[in-house]
Amino acid sequence: MNTALLVALAALWLIVIALVIAVFALARQIGVLYERVAPMGALMLDEGPAVGSQAPTFELTGLSGAEVRLGYPSGRGELVFFLSPTCPVCKKLIPVLRSIADAERDWLDVILASDGDEAAQRAFYSKAQLTDFPYVLSSELGMRYKVGKLPYAVLLDEHGKVRAKGLINSREQLESLFTAKELGVESIQEYLQKA
Amino acid sequence: MQADLVFVHAARATLAIVFLVAAWQKMRELDVFEAALANYRLLPEALVALTARALPAFELATGLALVIAPGSALGGLAALALLLLVTGAVVINLLRGRRDVGCGCGGIEDEQMVSWALVARNIALLMLALVALAPPVTRDLVWLDYLSVAGSAVAGYGIYLVSSQLIANAPRLGRLRTST
Repeated sequence: MNTALLVALAALWLIVIALVIAVFALARQIGVLYERVAPMGALMLDEGPAVGSQAPTFELTGLSGAEVRLGYPSGRGELVFFLSPTCPVCKKLIPVLRSIADAERDWLDVILASDGDEAAQRAFYSKAQLTDFPYVLSSELGMRYKVGKLPYAVLLDEHGKVRAKGLINSREQLESLFTAKELGVESIQEYLQKA
Repeated sequence: MQADLVFVHAARATLAIVFLVAAWQKMRELDVFEAALANYRLLPEALVALTARALPAFELATGLALVIAPGSALGGLAALALLLLVTGAVVINLLRGRRDVGCGCGGIEDEQMVSWALVARNIALLMLALVALAPPVTRDLVWLDYLSVAGSAVAGYGIYLVSSQLIANAPRLGRLRTST
């Protein structure tokens, strides 16, 4: 009798833990599903201006008052980095952006883009010492590129063509945009297919 | 109120896993946690960097105290204090009407935003801390009791992960509902 109880107990514990793992996996999958079916899903690579196509043009005024022209064939590349004052990962990437802006100074302009409450944006702009970057506020810009999740970056080449874009969580992902431009591929998937 | 020793140990073990994992996740991405903490807008700027380092250290110490000093109330009290502190920070921001504050709790790719569901989850953890502090009914534990403790701790942490994931999912579901 005792042995039977012990075996039953051990079996029940195994089942309970297996079920907890299953429920967690389901919750995780539902989360991914919500993300993918969201109308602004940034993970969908085929949304917004396609890689290789001409970028939409914008004439905006930066927080410093200077005019910022985006998407024109200016002879210089442009990295548009979408961020917000309330996004922790964005702040982590600011030093990375600085080093990229510095290393690629010869051909690349780094532009920061955001939208929303201007007072909070200005406070962030001066506190995070972003004054050496053009910083534009435009919800239209984010909507044209279908930016759903931050931080997000778009790389335009010298002719105003979209070369790479995507959700950025780390230095490696930011650098992969430049690799994509050099290799002339849209995504890792395409690169693997070509190889 | 007294609780059986198995419940006390199970509560301690579950809390220890929660705190040790949270501390590790915060320390791994300290600059992200620092930015998340600044986002709560509770501390003067000068204190943010220091607090961002002190909090995970406190979590680590709490987790270790819960494991290595099962006889002392220290770990349980530290857990109680820590939970009250972070839940207070969340409640203040909710009362301010802010919803766009990342939890900064660590884990689940850190996508949780502050919400009343998060407060409810923390209250559940507070209950667990109270169980961990309850004076135990002393009896001799047999090996089967340790199976119960281990099983409860693993299942308890699993349920914590599930609740975190569901809290992270909630705003996405909200966006879907409003968009259609």
